[in-house]
Amino acid sequence: MISLRRKKNKEGSLTSQGGGPSLLGLGLSLPPLLIVLVFVGLPILIGLTFSLGFTTGPNRVIAIIGQQIHKKNHWWGTLSAYNDVIHDSRFLGDLGLTIFVTVLSTTLVLLLALSIALYQRLIGGRKAAVLVTLSIVPLFVPVVISAWAIHTFYGGDGFMKTFFTHFGIDFPTLTSTPSAIVIGTVWTSLPFAILMISSGLQAIPDALIESAKDCGASVFRVIANILVPLAKTPIIIAASFTSIGILGSFTIPLFLGPNQPTMLGVEISNFFGAYNRPQQSLVMAFIVFAIASGIAVLYVRSNIKSARESGRL
Amino acid sequence: MKKSLSLALAVVAAIGLTVPASHAASSTIQLYISADTNIQDLWVKTLVPAFKLAYPGYDVNVTFDLHGDHDAQETAKITAASVLHKDPGVDLIDGGFTTTLGAAGLLYRPTPGLMPNIKDLNKTVLAAGKGGIPYRASSVLLAYNSTTVPTPPATLDDLLGWIKAHPGKFTYNVPSGGGSGYAFAQTVIDKYLSSADRATLVAQAAPELEAKWAQGLETLRQLNKYTYGQNGTYPANNAETLKDLATGLVDMGTVWSDQFSSALKAGTMPANIKVTAIKNPALTGGASYLGIPNSSTNKTGARLLANWVLSPVAQNLIVGGTLNGFPVIPLNKLDPKLVTAFAGVDILNLRAGYLSANANDLKSMWASTVPGK
Repeated sequence: MISLRRKKNKEGSLTSQGGGPSLLGLGLSLPPLLIVLVFVGLPILIGLTFSLGFTTGPNRVIAIIGQQIHKKNHWWGTLSAYNDVIHDSRFLGDLGLTIFVTVLSTTLVLLLALSIALYQRLIGGRKAAVLVTLSIVPLFVPVVISAWAIHTFYGGDGFMKTFFTHFGIDFPTLTSTPSAIVIGTVWTSLPFAILMISSGLQAIPDALIESAKDCGASVFRVIANILVPLAKTPIIIAASFTSIGILGSFTIPLFLGPNQPTMLGVEISNFFGAYNRPQQSLVMAFIVFAIASGIAVLYVRSNIKSARESGRL
Repeated sequence: MKKSLSLALAVVAAIGLTVPASHAASSTIQLYISADTNIQDLWVKTLVPAFKLAYPGYDVNVTFDLHGDHDAQETAKITAASVLHKDPGVDLIDGGFTTTLGAAGLLYRPTPGLMPNIKDLNKTVLAAGKGGIPYRASSVLLAYNSTTVPTPPATLDDLLGWIKAHPGKFTYNVPSGGGSGYAFAQTVIDKYLSSADRATLVAQAAPELEAKWAQGLETLRQLNKYTYGQNGTYPANNAETLKDLATGLVDMGTVWSDQFSSALKAGTMPANIKVTAIKNPALTGGASYLGIPNSSTNKTGARLLANWVLSPVAQNLIVGGTLNGFPVIPLNKLDPKLVTAFAGVDILNLRAGYLSANANDLKSMWASTVPGK
C-alpha cells in the first residue's frame, strides 16, 4: 500500500493533493491535535470564561470557594476582574519586573550562548568541546536544586559573603534582589540556547567561512556577515523559547527574588493560593499568555520565512 | 435518683454502642493529611497505630500531601463532591484548607451527642472552625539569641522599640509564606484595633473593618529599614526564619512553638536560642483543625477517630511525642509530667488568628503596602 502511494506521489506534486496521503496525514496528526484541543484548549476556554465572570457550569465550584469573585453583568461577561488587576498597586511593578528580567536575561543568555558557540565553531578543539559539554550541565540539574544552590552561594551567610569577609570586603547580599533572579534564569536557560545556537553554527559549511577569509574578511566580519545571518533561525528559536520560559518562571523568582515586586508567575500563585482570588490570578495568567503569544508570533514568522527560503513552503 | 442515674448510664452506653455498631458497614477511614513531615509522623507513627489498638475493627488509610501542594485541587474535589452528592474519597481531613471548607459550609458540624469529647474544647476555638474540629494547637513565640540579648522584650511595644534600636537584627517571614510571620503582622495590626473589632475579624468575614488595618500596616512598613536586610525584604517561609536564627544572621524572630522545639531536639537550632511569649497583645497562636466533609460516606468512622484524637490518651501522644504540640483539652486531664512544659503559656486561650477570608486579605494587603516600599 505504502509503496503504491509513494509511486503516486512521485507522479504528482510533492505536497500531494490526492486523497490517500492527506487522509494518512490527518490520521497521524489527529490524536495529538485532539489531546491539545481537549486538555489544553478547553481548559483555556473555561479559564477565559471564568475570568470574564461566567460563574456557572464548570466554574461553579471555584466560584464557591474563591474570594472577590465578579459575576457577569452583560451577555459577554464583565471586565471587573481585569479592572481589579490593572488597578492593583502591585501589578505594574510585577509586570515591569517580569519584562525587565525577561529582556535582560534573554539578552545575556543569547550573548553568552553565541560566544561559546562561536568559540567552538571558529577555534574548536578539545578545550571548546569540554567547555560546551560543561555549559550543558545545568540542563541536568533540577531547577529547585539550582535555585537553592544559588541561594546558599549569594545569601547573607553564603559563600561569596563569607569568602570576601576574610579580605575585609563586604560583598553585597544578592538574594531577594532582581539580580539574583537574573543569575538564576541565565543559569537555567543557557544550556538550551547553547545547544540550539551551536548546532546552527555547526551546519554552516567551512567553505563559506574560508572563502570570506580568503577575500580578506576579518573574524568580526565573518561573524557579523556570515555566521550570525546564516544561523538566524536557530538564534530566533533560542531567543523565543528562552524568553517564553523566563516569562513564566516560578521557582527561581520565588526562591531568589524580592517579596515585592515579584515576577508574575509567583504573583499568580500568590493570588490563587494565599489570597484566594482565582479570578484575578487567571487574569494575570492571560496577560502572561498574551505576551508569550506575541513572542510566539516572532518564532512562527521566522519558521515560515526559513521554510520559504529553503523551498519547503 | 437511682433511676435517673441508670437512665444516664443507658444513654451513655447507647452512645458508645452506636459507633461500633456500624463496623461492618465501613471499617476503613480515609484520612487526608496536608502538612509537613512532622505531622505525617504524628499520624502514621503515633496516632494511627494507637487508634487501631483501641479500635481493632477499624483501619485508617492515610493520603499525605507534603506542604499542602494540592490544597486547591483537594478543596475543589471536595466541593464538587458535595455539590454533586458524590463520595469525595475522604472522610477526615487534617490540613490548613479545613477552615476554608468550613467557611464555605462544606463540613459536617460535630455535636456533643455524637462526639462527646468536644465538650472539653474551648468554645470560641471550636466555633471559629465552622465545623472544623480543633485537635492540637501551637503558638507563635518570639525566639531570641540569649547570648546577645540577655533580657528579651516582654511586650509588643518593647519589641518594636528593640527592633528599631538594633537595625538588621530582627526578621519575620512573608505572611503568605508561613504562619509565624503572619502572626507578627496580625499582632502589630491588632495593636491598633479595639477588642470588639479583633473578635469580629476572628469570627466572620469583615471587609468593612479592613480600612482600620492601615495604621498597623504603616507601622510594619516603617520597620522595613530596621528588619534583616534593611531593604524591605523578608524570608519566604517559616523554615527560613528558623535558619536565619540558627546561623546567627538575626538575633530575634517569630517562630512556631512546635517547629522550634523540634529543631531544638533535632540539634538544628543551637541551645543559646530561646523562646519567650510577649504581651499586649500576645503573638497569635491557633488550633489545627480536623474536618469531616459533608459528603463523606463514612462519617461514623471519621467521628470515631476525631473523637478519639480529643481523648486524654491521644492528646498525651500529641504533647509528648516528637511533635511537641499543644493540647486542646484542659491540662488537668493530661499526664502531669508533660504539662510542665507549658508553664507561662495560656494554651487554652491562645489569641486567635483571623478567619481565613480576612487573613487572606491581610496577606494580600501586607504584600501591596509593606515589602520594598
